[in-house]
Amino acid sequence: MAEEMFYWQALNRALYQQMEADDSVFLLGEDVGLYGGSYRVSEGLYARFGEWRVRDTPISEGSFTGLGVGAALLGSRPVVEIMTINFALLALDAIINMATKIPFMSGGQFPMPLVVRTPGGVAKQLAAQHSQRLEQTLMNVPGLRIAVPATPQDAWWQLNQAIRSDEPIIVLEHELLYFSKGEVDTQVEAPPMHRARVHRQGADLTIVTYSRMLQVSLQAAEQLSAQGIEATVIDLRSLRPIDWDSCVQSIEQTHRLLVVEEDSSFAGAGAEIIAGLSERCFYLLDEPPKRLAARELPIAYNGTLEAMSIPRPADIVAAATDLCQTKDAI
Amino acid sequence: MDRETQLKLLKDMLLARAFEERAAEEYTKGNIAGFLHLYPGEEAVAVGVLNAAGPSDYVVSTYREHVHAMLRGISPDQVMAELFGKKDGCSHGMGGSMHLFDRQKRFMGGYGIVGETFPVATGIAYSIAMKQQPEAVICFFGDGAVNQGTFHESLNMAALWGLPVLFVCENNHYQIGTEIHRHSAVAEVYKRACGYRIPARRIDGMNVLEVYEATGQALQQIYAGTGPQLLEFETYRFRGHSMADPGSYRPKVEVEAFKDQEDPVAIAIRETLPCYPSADEISAAGPDVINKLCSQMDNLGHLDNRQLEALRSEVAQIVDDAVAFALASPEPTLEDAQAYLDCNRQQEVLI
Amino acid sequence: MKQPITMPALSDTMETGHLHQWLKQPGDAIKKGQAIAEVESDKAVMEIEAFADGYLQGPLAATDADYKIGETIAWLSDTATDTENNEAIPPASEPQTARPQTAPSTETKTAEAAPLLPTVNAAAASQHKSSPYARGLARDLGISLEHIAPSADGIIHGKQVLAAALAPPQPDLKAGPPYRYKLLTPMHRAVADNMSATLQTPTFRVSSLLDLQPLQEYAKANGFSLSLLLARACALAIKKHPLFNAAYTDAGLALRDRVDVSIAVDVPGGLLTPVLRDMAQKPLADLSADWQKLKQKIARRRLQPEDYQGATFYLSNLGTFPAVSRFDAIVPLGACAILALGAAQKNQAEATLSCDHRVVYGAEAGRFFSTLQNIIKQPEGLTDV
Repeated sequence: MAEEMFYWQALNRALYQQMEADDSVFLLGEDVGLYGGSYRVSEGLYARFGEWRVRDTPISEGSFTGLGVGAALLGSRPVVEIMTINFALLALDAIINMATKIPFMSGGQFPMPLVVRTPGGVAKQLAAQHSQRLEQTLMNVPGLRIAVPATPQDAWWQLNQAIRSDEPIIVLEHELLYFSKGEVDTQVEAPPMHRARVHRQGADLTIVTYSRMLQVSLQAAEQLSAQGIEATVIDLRSLRPIDWDSCVQSIEQTHRLLVVEEDSSFAGAGAEIIAGLSERCFYLLDEPPKRLAARELPIAYNGTLEAMSIPRPADIVAAATDLCQTKDAI
Repeated sequence: MDRETQLKLLKDMLLARAFEERAAEEYTKGNIAGFLHLYPGEEAVAVGVLNAAGPSDYVVSTYREHVHAMLRGISPDQVMAELFGKKDGCSHGMGGSMHLFDRQKRFMGGYGIVGETFPVATGIAYSIAMKQQPEAVICFFGDGAVNQGTFHESLNMAALWGLPVLFVCENNHYQIGTEIHRHSAVAEVYKRACGYRIPARRIDGMNVLEVYEATGQALQQIYAGTGPQLLEFETYRFRGHSMADPGSYRPKVEVEAFKDQEDPVAIAIRETLPCYPSADEISAAGPDVINKLCSQMDNLGHLDNRQLEALRSEVAQIVDDAVAFALASPEPTLEDAQAYLDCNRQQEVLI
Repeated sequence: MKQPITMPALSDTMETGHLHQWLKQPGDAIKKGQAIAEVESDKAVMEIEAFADGYLQGPLAATDADYKIGETIAWLSDTATDTENNEAIPPASEPQTARPQTAPSTETKTAEAAPLLPTVNAAAASQHKSSPYARGLARDLGISLEHIAPSADGIIHGKQVLAAALAPPQPDLKAGPPYRYKLLTPMHRAVADNMSATLQTPTFRVSSLLDLQPLQEYAKANGFSLSLLLARACALAIKKHPLFNAAYTDAGLALRDRVDVSIAVDVPGGLLTPVLRDMAQKPLADLSADWQKLKQKIARRRLQPEDYQGATFYLSNLGTFPAVSRFDAIVPLGACAILALGAAQKNQAEATLSCDHRVVYGAEAGRFFSTLQNIIKQPEGLTDV
């Protein structure tokens, strides 16, 4: 049943399936209609579903995201595409103050089946304003769920689940993942949306990561294996909630934890991951847990500096090797 | 208008065109990366407005700002070096194409998020007004930006407090890929200003002489302390396929996009990819700004072919030099980057 | 102005140094390059040299204790009288690295014998840093971290706790009288580890009365050591019974042609096993010279690993203690057998050969003794090979 496709195609298929199945699902955002989406995610949908279900918006992030909130109150299932997470800063009021607060403040009267899809991360020389990873800004909002699909299969599963959910959900995509390819089985039953996925098993350390850093970590794990260090690589798939159990189970075997994130480390996603796992695994850790993250710098336009600013496979190899120094020592 | 001024305008437009065409070429060679928003087609706006501006005026621009930067006196060398991400660029390789800055030249930046120029310009104007200087801020924006909240919020404050801002709309009729009638309830941008009692006019942005005159008049009033003004210049951009056939090019783009599945960023930047229309396509779409000025000057006996060729080879040399300069410039280091981040930290040492 | 004198790094692998003795006393004038103390590294005893002119100032670190590289053990001042407050000596970088000569028992911290390093906390002196996992394991397995030595990084990790869990149980001293710890010297630790490592060796013993008179007379007449002649005799016997030169490994028996015999030597605070190489082939005079060199090195405590590692056969002679009639010895890893010799009575001494039963059997040992008896009957044969 599995079929190889691009990440954007998996998202496109999921949108198509949900829109076909449910008239209340609609998509809105800048250039999602005639243009087909900046990353082709909504390609072909305008022609199939028309302008009321695939709405090209003005550049008005604050208000069109708020519009999504309002529509969700009446039971519509809006999928808001924000062209990049950098523009989502303009929509934080709608996301944080409206989407997550209205169901709560009304004493549970309203559903909020709102999905906000947006790509984040460092792509290729887009400079500081367009190279951000703002997941930490959204993680600290109770009531908001954050899915971070790293593979086409997860993109398919998680977008489908997000649209069916009555909770507000951010689906954090990544510019450099849209054109990554992978097997997608559209028939197989999906795991829970926030369940982490173990991509590789190894006895020496646990690498916890998400989004594009999964691919980077898997590359590093292969190199580590060649030098005798076997890493377990866990893709969190969700940043709120976080599937602690899967991580704890792995640390029970490895006793070493490395968190790899594209974000800066200070108060970043990795800070929460390390804190949560330290609380749960304190007596399992044989070395201080370690974060590998972006430098504490905005991303420079210059390509060399950009590449040096976020973790590369060699950085992960070095950090993991350091962490495993005493693994054979008696 | 005297001949010298006309020649200056012509040369600026020729340089702008040549520079952007070369930038497109360098992009395809891989010397420039990321998003590259080019200006061909719209030269009359920047050239007219900024030639009319005073040397002490401030400029706030968008991510399509190479030409604006050069017109404010930032050398083509420095602009090209910045596009190349090099240390000698005007933003030392940190900003790139979308974020050109030069404090000395009062070029207050290219901004990458639509709608950011309004509040920044309003704030600069507020500071000028407090000091009661005879200066103005020129705030560039596109037609797509007028639906951001910041447009309305900033126009209100600028009018309320009588701030010296000249809001300049470069209306090329497209918000990326969405035509103005599909993104704005009122397609005439200048009409929006009346909601805030801001004097506003709509000008033919393809006629550099009109742009120049209108800007000069507006600035004189602003210097006189009468508060903000808004000018809407109707223009076109010769990028992508949009100029040749604005009504039906989308399906063609989608067809092209299907063929192009290797580079993940290719789709993101397809709007920026150079694809210049042929001379036929340009003439079919309307008069080109440069041809138009040439014929205007020709009619006045202000230009002959020999002169035009001389100007063309002069700007070609400038652009060649700029590329050579950019190629030779060193890359910035991580230490540089850290120093730029910490540039405002005075004596304090953080733990 | 005074500067700390710290424990120097004296070898590539050294992590701590055992401070033997001070060669200078507080107030002594010191020239740059002069030796001020003796330190035993993991390899040898060496001298600490002064890195500048000045005067040695206390407090001097206690001798007969281990100090981590970089730890302050004394001070060098530019005046003879120490006008500065000695209490200002910085605390040892990590609690476990500063070891007073006698750490009080864990139960009682007595006021007497205040350690020379004033900041040492008695309770901390027996503690190492441990990882949370190590602590969790220790708690779950009911193991006290107090008895566990740390990994190379100075921290007790899970591995060490697991190793301790698999190791023999530690004595419970709580019920007995108050006690104190004397930390093992590197040599003592090495002997303990080497002996423990032989626990898996299935051993049998065969004894024989040897007539040593011809050998003793020959030794006296030619100025040879009796132990040396005996070792030579064993080497020649091994030539006839080469299995005694083999070692058992999982991969198979390691057969060696060259016979390298080690003679156990009693030294203060431990036991050394210098090795004489090619004992069956080299001229006896050369071997005698080798033996003298080894004994000198032992006297100066300068024995290097190549001097004491890799023996194929061992000899342990307690014949100098008339009270000892017989004993048996432990076969070290890497050898097949060790010969233990008691004191002679009426020229007869009882020798016991401990053998690795995975390599040789009883009858082979019997044949070995027959050959050995024949060899020592005619000591002249020991000279020519």
